[in-house]
Amino acid sequence: MSRQDKIALALKEVLPIVLAYFPLSITFGVLAAASGVPWYVSVFSSVWIYSGGAQFMLISMIETATAPVTIIATILLVNMRHVLYGATMGPYLAHWREPLKWLAALGLTDESFVVTSNRAAAGERLTPSYYLTFALAAYGSWISGTIVGAGIGGIVPSEAATVLSFALPALFLALLFGGERTLPHLLAACTGAALATLAGLLNLGGIGLIVGGIIGATAGQMLGRKRIKPIRS
Amino acid sequence: MESQLWIILLIGAGTYMFRAVSLVLGSRMQWSERTKEWLSYVSPAVLGALLGPLLLLNDGQWVPIRDNTMLLAAIPTILVAWWTRRLLLTVVSGIGFYTIVYYLM
Repeated sequence: MSRQDKIALALKEVLPIVLAYFPLSITFGVLAAASGVPWYVSVFSSVWIYSGGAQFMLISMIETATAPVTIIATILLVNMRHVLYGATMGPYLAHWREPLKWLAALGLTDESFVVTSNRAAAGERLTPSYYLTFALAAYGSWISGTIVGAGIGGIVPSEAATVLSFALPALFLALLFGGERTLPHLLAACTGAALATLAGLLNLGGIGLIVGGIIGATAGQMLGRKRIKPIRS
Repeated sequence: MESQLWIILLIGAGTYMFRAVSLVLGSRMQWSERTKEWLSYVSPAVLGALLGPLLLLNDGQWVPIRDNTMLLAAIPTILVAWWTRRLLLTVVSGIGFYTIVYYLM
């Protein structure tokens, strides 16, 4: 396959992600503007963070005036899942030059990971021209949507902004129920939800997210191991 | 404002390091199965922890189920996410369900 073919293939396969990112990042830009975040701050967050869930969380936490340390700790904990993505993708890029690997890491979002790792797992060799075209197209879509959203944010009526605020829980629900849905994964989610809600009722704020995340993940792993053991032995 | 920029800088740097270091190390060595397994449960746990208070509480107060627009809109949204596994479709229909519930109540 020539380089042009690889680029064309990447553009074809990234299209659903480009189409999903654009309106989602417009929503992000609009909500950020409605929460009083200046346009250059929201654009900067799309360029620099490039992680939808993290960026939406950031607005809602800025709105509720959460302490900066809690915001950073919580969001980084949520984004720790990217370690899993990197660890999974790494072996497929083993033949790449070192600087290109560091560049590839920039594009490792939830959705890009799902598509490219499936391709690699199916035995396809991931080349820099395919992968980087893919990553840059998705990145470009996310940034341009943010610019549009931040631009029109001021003229969107407040009622529309209220309704759009459901984009965040809907995004989380999509990521949760569109991902792994085994009983241990659901137990992890329910444990996290219960602990964080309890912490919220006790006014402990963001600590609930961190505790819920760590204990929930551990509970999920313990149940997962229990269920696997009888099969192995 | 300045603190917002700092928060974004740190979150972006941290997220990039998670992606880059694991990718570069992952291209050279295998991670222990146990670590990978635990990491696979972190996302659902944290997503659950995010959703719980978002759907059940308002300013740290419990919202009675029949007044809870967020939770009522979340139920059909979960069904869409479960059946389609599609990000954009789930978000768009979720906003649609929320609009309906919001104007009905």
